[in-house]
Amino acid sequence: MELFFQSVINSFIQGGFFALWAVGLVLVFGVMGVVNFAHGELVMVGAYTVWVLHSQYGIGYIPALCIAVLLVMFIGLLMERFLFRPKQGDPLGGLINSIGVLFILQVAALVVGGTGPAKQVAPPFPGTLIIQEFLRIPNQRLFSIAVAVAALLLLWFFLTKTKLGWSLRAVALDREAAALQGININRTSMIAIGVSGALAGLAGALMAPISNIYPTMGHNVIITAFIVTIVGGIGSLSGAVLAAVLYAFLHTFVTAYFSGTIATMCGLLIMVLVLIVKPTGIMGQKVSE
Amino acid sequence: MLLSLQDVHVHYNKIAALQGISIEVEEGDFVTLIGSNGAGKSTTLRTISGLERPSAGEIRFKNQSLTRLPPDRILKLGVAQVPEGRRVFKDLTVLENLHLGAFTRGDQAAIKSDLESVFGHFPRLLERSQQLAQTLSGGEQQMLSIGRALMSDPILLLLDEPSLGLAPIVVEEIAKILLEINKRGVAIVLVEQNAELALDLAKRGYVLETGNVALQGEASSLARNEHVKTAYLGI
Repeated sequence: MELFFQSVINSFIQGGFFALWAVGLVLVFGVMGVVNFAHGELVMVGAYTVWVLHSQYGIGYIPALCIAVLLVMFIGLLMERFLFRPKQGDPLGGLINSIGVLFILQVAALVVGGTGPAKQVAPPFPGTLIIQEFLRIPNQRLFSIAVAVAALLLLWFFLTKTKLGWSLRAVALDREAAALQGININRTSMIAIGVSGALAGLAGALMAPISNIYPTMGHNVIITAFIVTIVGGIGSLSGAVLAAVLYAFLHTFVTAYFSGTIATMCGLLIMVLVLIVKPTGIMGQKVSE
Repeated sequence: MLLSLQDVHVHYNKIAALQGISIEVEEGDFVTLIGSNGAGKSTTLRTISGLERPSAGEIRFKNQSLTRLPPDRILKLGVAQVPEGRRVFKDLTVLENLHLGAFTRGDQAAIKSDLESVFGHFPRLLERSQQLAQTLSGGEQQMLSIGRALMSDPILLLLDEPSLGLAPIVVEEIAKILLEINKRGVAIVLVEQNAELALDLAKRGYVLETGNVALQGEASSLARNEHVKTAYLGI
């Protein structure tokens, strides 16, 4: 019973992370038409930034988190300007460029952190919230989920309530029609990848104190983000968030009662099933024309 | 002269879509481009809006070259387009679609008054302002597409096949509104398969054939031309 309740709590926390990973991928794919394979590495850079600044140089956790967000956002902007923009209308070219970035960032992490065991960051918010004897939530995880949910709500507000947000969705729906309204496609792409990078950096910074930090930690991120994106419906942000929470429950429970490897296998199996049975995903729509 | 195209060529890969088109539009003009499928009517509008790049020739609007400008800059100069197939943003509401039409404008009071004038032209858009654009009928989507273009407060309005797939009564309603818009001083370039309707509305016309201007003149005299009659009016 204790395992059950604990798994429910863990599922929500995982779901917040899964959603944070996936929406950035969805946003860039929707607006720019690029599958950013380096998205997981952007999360990894966020985590490394916190490890370097907080654990190595003693800078406070919150300032380190803010710097991680800005740094990863900046890397995203550089990618847009120099790697994706020259490959506009060439999804394969953009994808290959992003794979190049993936390897560069992994090697950069090796250079910064060296080989050896995974890095860890001591939780800046120690202690545990005990609701019941069988229901405990470490404060660090509580902080992470609160910030993740706040970031997702902020993104939702931006995309549905502001004119700039509408312009992003318009470009994702129909680039040409958006350009005909005077929306600058390059500027919109910068905003999309800036937001995506900031969310990736934030996710990494939030993960740093509660998970292992190593150069290839982005693999897990990108696989999960793909599962969530495809199950949720490619290009649908609300679908991605819903699928993130659902998949988090599946993943957490299968991990708790069986193992993490089987959990990821289940996820990939579901992804393949969705692609065969309903390729548009649970919330996705058919693309017209 | 408001808009002029001089000897404009456009190629898709290596296939010539426009082979030296020259067109002139005066302030407050109502010009139509007619011709069969593949004659280059849509390509002409797309090129004016900057969606296609001419391989040769010059496009000028209010004495400024448009030839190398991106679509958003061209819109800002006052050239709006209602694209073929309406192309409304289906997952956004009617109101959000209209506000995106005014994306480049900052003057909230002017936007508000233009929004009211669009709702004046199309009362049905007001009734449905909170609905998603995908829930509208074809005719309503066309009205939304026109309304969205008007929200940029254009000097020149380009329309690509606005009557396509619409019921005759809706076509009539839209035709009436185009005349009203033109009367308020907005110049119009109308591309139409329905040549009879187009020549009835417009002051002047160009007949395009395989990427060239085959005929041009007053709309009323084009409507009496024997070649136009047999080829495009089915008389």
